[in-house]
Amino acid sequence: MRRVIDGRDLLPPEPLELTLAALDQLTEGDDLLLLLNCRPAPLFGILRRHGYFWDECAQGDGSFEITIRKGIVGEQ
Amino acid sequence: MPADLSFEQAPPISVPLRFFLSAPIFGVVAGALLSWWGADVVTSRWLGETLALTHLLVAGFMLQAMTGALFQFLPVAAGCNIARPMLVAATVHPLLAAAALLLPLGLAGGIAIALRVAAALFLFAVAIVVVATGRALLRTPAQGATVLALRLAVGGLAITVLLGTALADGLAGHRSWPLVDLTSIHVAWGLGGWALVLLAGVSYFVVPMFQLTPPYPPRFARWLPLLLLAVLLVWSLQLIVPIPQQLVLICGMALAGAFSATTLWLQQRRRRRIRDPVFWFFRLAMSCLLAAALLAAGVALLPALHDEASVAWILGVLLIPGVFVSAINGMLYKIVPFISWLHLQRLALPGTPVPNVLDLLPGSAMRAQMILHLLAMVLLLMSAVWPSIVTLAGVAFATSSAWLGVNLSRAVWRYVRARGRIGASERGR
Repeated sequence: MRRVIDGRDLLPPEPLELTLAALDQLTEGDDLLLLLNCRPAPLFGILRRHGYFWDECAQGDGSFEITIRKGIVGEQ
Repeated sequence: MPADLSFEQAPPISVPLRFFLSAPIFGVVAGALLSWWGADVVTSRWLGETLALTHLLVAGFMLQAMTGALFQFLPVAAGCNIARPMLVAATVHPLLAAAALLLPLGLAGGIAIALRVAAALFLFAVAIVVVATGRALLRTPAQGATVLALRLAVGGLAITVLLGTALADGLAGHRSWPLVDLTSIHVAWGLGGWALVLLAGVSYFVVPMFQLTPPYPPRFARWLPLLLLAVLLVWSLQLIVPIPQQLVLICGMALAGAFSATTLWLQQRRRRRIRDPVFWFFRLAMSCLLAAALLAAGVALLPALHDEASVAWILGVLLIPGVFVSAINGMLYKIVPFISWLHLQRLALPGTPVPNVLDLLPGSAMRAQMILHLLAMVLLLMSAVWPSIVTLAGVAFATSSAWLGVNLSRAVWRYVRARGRIGASERGR
């Protein structure tokens, strides 16, 4: 299942707050798509420490698409 | 413009917070002294008391907040970090604070030794800031208008303090300096080359991000600090050759006006109808800058107004509390809860509750202080016509600054408590 958070018109750190709340409900096999106007480096640090994986894709309009999934035990 | 947040490189939170929490204290002292000294300070910009109040705000409130912002902002916006930030901050912070208290003492009381010691402390502390930030800014591979503005602003700070040192030396007894010319160049570099260029560089980054506006036009953003630098260099030539002062002043004011008008235009084009206190503080700051630019250009064209004390008072109020204190006040309300929240997120394990930004600093507290700041601004401006009001204006400004300090301190206290709870819950796992 994919959940989408469109943070492009939200005030920082609302997109990060919503993302971190959504991560608590993310199960293995699900992914979370995050749409943002900036590259969220603080989020990456938190994801890395807590064992999540992500792909980032810069869009032509300067925005970013970040796809986050939960790490499978033994994957790291 | 880098659209990135390299928070992983950010310094320990205590580094910027010590500067941010100290800044309002200088506002309280300035407001209290304004109230104590009363209407006389409105009558001349050259009175020792007026100079003391000015420096409590520019060398106290503003320099504290802007130095703290450099520590926090360099990793975020320029992708570079100040080496050994704890040591640099622990050295610079008390020196700048002591200097910012001694300088007004020397100016108001005509105490030569206070002026000399303050100048020496400023010179030493600012040299550390300039070397530490300049080194980081010159080494960063990041490019763009924000980095360019930050580099120029740090250079502007160095020149401001060098000129200020010469002035302090002159006031302390060495009358060989051309004090009037030197003062007008010192003011231009301090408010234009340091404060305005830094404000522009920070705005390029934070206005689109925190107010959801389109980005600043890239050419405008790049050329503005360079043109301001050119105007300041020509302005400084008056020390050695005659210059067309009115024309140069009008050019400088046109650039300042263009920056404020562009920011106001971008705010109008924001993607969401945001009306939080940060938005209003920025709108107030930019409106004051536009008004000051128009007034200063008008004064340049009408020399009869040049020696009007009330005009100098209005310009000073518009520029210092109006532009810079307002913008800093708004930015502190964004930065302090934001970095506190991020630091808590870094500490917490998944599932551990972390207070959100508005839990750390509620909007109602910010709005109430903002209204008082606005009232203080109105009273300060009215003092130009009715100088007796200045006592009340001083009380309002001191109370507003104290309230800012209380709001920031409560946010930091909530951060400390939350950090303690996170530590306790993780020890219990």
